[in-house]
Amino acid sequence: MNPYLLIVLLTSLGLGTALTLSSTHWLLAWLGLEVGTLAILPLMAQPHHPRATEAATKYFIVQATAAATLLFAAINNAWLQGHWDIQHMSHPLFTSMITLALLLKLGLAPMHTWMPEVIQGVSLNTGLIVSTWQKIAPFILLLQIKQIHPPLLTIIGLASILIGGWGGLNQTQLRKILAYSSIAHLGWMVLILQHSTALATFALLIYIFMTSATFITLKKCKATTINMLTTTWTKAPTITLVAPLMLLSLGGLPPLSGFAPKWFILQELTQQNFIPHASIAALAALLSLYYYLRLSYSITLSLSPNNLPECLQWRVNYPISTPLSSALPAALALTLFLLPLTPSALTLII
Amino acid sequence: MTPIQMTFSTMFLLGLMGLTFHRTHLLSALLCLESMMLSLFLATSLWALQLSTINIATVPMLLLAFSACEASSGLALLVATARTHGSDHMQNLNLLQC
Amino acid sequence: MSYLVCVLLFGLMVGSVGVASNPSPYFAAMGLVMVSGVGCGVLICFGGSFLPLVFFLIYLGGMMVVFAFSAALSAEPYPYGWGNRSVKMYVAAYVLGVGCAWKVLLGKWSGFWGGILDESGELLVLRGDMMGVAAMHDVGGWMLVLGGLGLLLTLFVVLELVRGVSRGGLRTV
Repeated sequence: MNPYLLIVLLTSLGLGTALTLSSTHWLLAWLGLEVGTLAILPLMAQPHHPRATEAATKYFIVQATAAATLLFAAINNAWLQGHWDIQHMSHPLFTSMITLALLLKLGLAPMHTWMPEVIQGVSLNTGLIVSTWQKIAPFILLLQIKQIHPPLLTIIGLASILIGGWGGLNQTQLRKILAYSSIAHLGWMVLILQHSTALATFALLIYIFMTSATFITLKKCKATTINMLTTTWTKAPTITLVAPLMLLSLGGLPPLSGFAPKWFILQELTQQNFIPHASIAALAALLSLYYYLRLSYSITLSLSPNNLPECLQWRVNYPISTPLSSALPAALALTLFLLPLTPSALTLII
Repeated sequence: MTPIQMTFSTMFLLGLMGLTFHRTHLLSALLCLESMMLSLFLATSLWALQLSTINIATVPMLLLAFSACEASSGLALLVATARTHGSDHMQNLNLLQC
Repeated sequence: MSYLVCVLLFGLMVGSVGVASNPSPYFAAMGLVMVSGVGCGVLICFGGSFLPLVFFLIYLGGMMVVFAFSAALSAEPYPYGWGNRSVKMYVAAYVLGVGCAWKVLLGKWSGFWGGILDESGELLVLRGDMMGVAAMHDVGGWMLVLGGLGLLLTLFVVLELVRGVSRGGLRTV
C-alpha cells in the first residue's frame, strides 16, 4: 500500500476513535464509529486475496448495521426524552438496544460469529488493529451508558466467556483462536462493567497489551496455523522462550499480568455476592486456558514433523525489524511483568 | 409513541429484518442498509421540524453525507467481491467459515 | 392534512416492505425510490422545504444512479419481483407483522400529529430547516469540516478498494 495512503488511513482510524471518545452527543459518537469503520476497510482488503475482500465485506456489513442500530436507538430516545446525551440515556428499551448494538460492534457472544471469520481473513497486522484499537471506541461508549439492564450484561458476559473458550477448542487456525480469545476477554470486561467501570477499563488495558504482544509475536514467527508454530525455535529462539509465558498471561496465570484483571474481577464479583457468576466465569476460563496451553506446547515442547534441515530458514537475512516488531519488547514486558504494578495502575484509572 | 415515530421505527425494523434474513444478493443487503439510513434521515429531520430546533437541521445533512459514504464503500466492496468471488451472491462468501 | 400525512406514511411502509421482502435488486431499488419520494412528501407536509429537496435529489439523482450501475454489475437472467413465491411469502409476513404492531400500539399513542411548530409561519419562504442547514456553515463549521473529511476519506477508501487488476470492476482484455 502507498505509504501516504497508509498515513491517511491510520490517521483517520485515530480520528474516528478520538471523535467517539470526546463526544457527548450520539451523532458525533456515531460519526466517529463510521469514520473508524471506513478507514479500516482498505487495510483489511489490502492483500489481494478473496479471503481479505470477504472479511472486509463482512466487517463492513456488521459494523454498518450496528452503527445504524445505535443511531436508531439514540434518535428514538431523543423522540421520547428530548435529548441526545450519551450519559443521560435512560429509556430502558432503547438503552438495551444501544447496548446490544455496541456489543455487536465489539463481537460478544450471541453476536460474535463475524469476529473469527473477519480476523481469519485479514493479515496479522490488521487483525491486531481490529482486535485492539477498534474495540476501544465502542467499549468507552458502553462505559458511559449508565442505566443498562443488569441481567443483559451478565448473561452476555458469561455466554461470551463460555463461547470464547469453547469455540477455540477445535481450531487449528491461530487467528481464529485469537478471535475467540478476544471474545472471552471481552466477556470478562462486560461481566464486571456494571459493578465497576474502573475494573472494566483496567481489563481492557491489560487485554490490549496482551493481544498486541501476541499478534506481533505471531507476525514475527509468520505463523497462522498451529503447525507453523513448531518451527519457531529456528526463526526466533528468544520468542520460543517467552511466547509460552505470554500465552499463559493471556490465560490468566498468577505471576503474569494477565492474572490481575481476572483476580480483581473475581474478587469484586465475590464481594458483591455474585458467587455463582464468579464460579462460572472462573471455570469457563479453563476452556480458554486449554488452548493457550496447546499453543505453548506446540511452540516450545514439540518439534515440527520435518527433518531438521527443512525447519531452518531458507534465507538467512530474515527481516527482523518491522515497525511493529520494535514494539514487541515493550508489549511483552507489559504482558509479563505488570502484576506487581497493578494496584498503582488501578488507582491511576480510578 | 406518535404515529411518526411508529412509522420510522417500522421502516427501520423492516430494513433491519430484510438485512438479517437476506441470503441471496449482497446488493439487496446494501439496499436494506440504505433504507435503514433513509428512515433515520426521516426521523432526524422530522425531529428537527417538529421541535422547530433549527440547529438540529444540520444533523440530517451530516447523516446523509455519512450514509452516502457508507453506501459508496459498500458498493466498492460489492465490486471487489464480485471480482474476487465471481458474483455478488451471499452464499459465495463462505471462504472463512470454521 | 392529516389524511394526506396518513396516506404518505402508509406509502412509506409499503415502500419499506418492498425493499425488505428480498426481491431482485432492480425491484428493491424501485422500493427505495418510492420511499424517498414519499418521504419527501412527508417532510413537506411537516413544513420543511430544504431537507425534502435534498432528500429527493440526493436519492434520485445520486444514490439511485450508483445503485443502478451496481445492479448492472450483478445482473441475473431471471430477476424475480414481488410476484415470486418466496418474495410473496416475505411480503405477507412483513405486512402481517407491521399490521399487528400497529394494531397493538394503536391505542397507546400519546399526542397525535405533533403539529408544525415552525415559528416562521407557513407563509414565509424562508423556513426553519433552511436556516438550520445554513447554520452548519456558520456555527457548525467544524462539523462541516468533519463531513468533508469523511467524504474525502471515503474517496480514498473506495479508490483503494477497487484499485488494481485483481479487484476493479473493469478488466483489461
